[in-house]
Amino acid sequence: MARLKLFALWLIVGIPLAWGVTKTVQNAIKLFQ
Amino acid sequence: MSATAPFGSAGNASTSTGFLDRARTVAPPGYNRFLVPPAALAVHLSIGQAYAFSTFNLPLTKLLGITESAPGDWSLKEVGWTFSIAILFLGLAAALFGRWVESAGPRKSMAVAACCFGGGFFVAGLGIHLHEIDLLYLGYGVLGGCGLGIGYISPVSTLIKWFPDRPGMATGMAIMGFGGGAMIAAPLSILLMDRFKTAESNGVFESFIAMGVIYFLFMIFGAAVVRVPASDWKPGGWTPSLTPKKLVTTANVHVDVAWRTRQFWLLWGVLCMNVTAGIGVLSQASPMIQEMFTGRVSAAAAASFVGLLSLFNMGGRFVWASVSDYLGRKNTYFVFFLLGIALYALVPGIGRAGSMPLFVLAFGVILSMYGGGFATIPAYLRDIFGTMHVGAIHGRLLTAWAAAGVLGPVLVSYIRDFQIHNGVPKAQAYSVTMYIMCGLLLIGLLCNLGIREIDPKLHHRDPEQ
Repeated sequence: MARLKLFALWLIVGIPLAWGVTKTVQNAIKLFQ
Repeated sequence: MSATAPFGSAGNASTSTGFLDRARTVAPPGYNRFLVPPAALAVHLSIGQAYAFSTFNLPLTKLLGITESAPGDWSLKEVGWTFSIAILFLGLAAALFGRWVESAGPRKSMAVAACCFGGGFFVAGLGIHLHEIDLLYLGYGVLGGCGLGIGYISPVSTLIKWFPDRPGMATGMAIMGFGGGAMIAAPLSILLMDRFKTAESNGVFESFIAMGVIYFLFMIFGAAVVRVPASDWKPGGWTPSLTPKKLVTTANVHVDVAWRTRQFWLLWGVLCMNVTAGIGVLSQASPMIQEMFTGRVSAAAAASFVGLLSLFNMGGRFVWASVSDYLGRKNTYFVFFLLGIALYALVPGIGRAGSMPLFVLAFGVILSMYGGGFATIPAYLRDIFGTMHVGAIHGRLLTAWAAAGVLGPVLVSYIRDFQIHNGVPKAQAYSVTMYIMCGLLLIGLLCNLGIREIDPKLHHRDPEQ
């Protein structure tokens, strides 16, 4: 249960952060195209 | 006095038992400390939105004209004040409410930050709806700025207490969120404006209301899950070193004493110089790369360069702060200043050589150290002044950020304009700026060099806990 809670909490903050980083990297790639 | 509330009775379980009170946030035995950083990240990822406020700048100048600015629409200059006011109030709130944040505990302060930041969006949204710019300033600038300041310092001392063995890594994790928040907010703002755009509205008002709700809920989530360790808690298997490390105190200094010490103002100089050098470049990154590589970098590619710098800024916050746990805080700042001076000195040559990958890499490393400077400073303060009032002392030190926020961009843009007016080609107009940045970093290096341990006479006599 504790592990599930740990996983869930990190997922809640990790998903938006991963989404933002992905968008930024996608845009940054344009610099070298 | 409560076991964990050095300022007063705010944490006394017998007198205050509300959900937001510190006493209700004390973790039970066996609590996994890695459950705490997500709470801090939730707050910092939210308030990091401030760095992406410029996404709204142009749409805010087209509220009446919808597709183009119409007579009566706000000018870019008027809208630009909103961000400056917010950063000013960030510094003021962090400095003024630092002691309150320490006594009230992280949950109450995070909840207040959520109300201010989320509420700031609603008031600003009302200003947009009524087309009253004063309400925009009051909402996002004043109220939102207070939310930024209180939210920024809320989780710092809590994380330091949970990770006495790795304080740099712990605060780096949270402060990384502030850098990451912009990366979420920029595409989110564009997504929301596209979603709410109609023939009668460009979607800014609706986006502000939606963001107010989203950020309020996300920050309240952080407040709900945050926990403070019990007064006698220590990480399993960890015992404090019996041989004290150089520049790492086991004593505490009261905030009212700390800010009058030479060490506080030297650290203020360290942060101010490091931030000035980074923020100056960050504010001019887009025109700089376009002008130094004339004809090779489009406006869209320059925007990508700014995005890439944000990535280095965010990564540097976690990496450098974690590295400082091994290198030591003073040595880490020596690396920032020495490497920074070397890179700034090399940039004009890299520009003349026309090597864009090297240019991007050099500024990537510079921006990683800019972020690293923000993330390492709380642990540096803890090393020098102890854990007791580290959040409050950190709040007062953040005035260096507000000063650098004005100094850096003004310095870079003023020197550039002066050079161009004196006939220097645009591609070379940044060379002098880079050498001035080297000078600023040298001042920071000297400040860092002067930092010594606090005189034991200034240590707080009452035990913290």
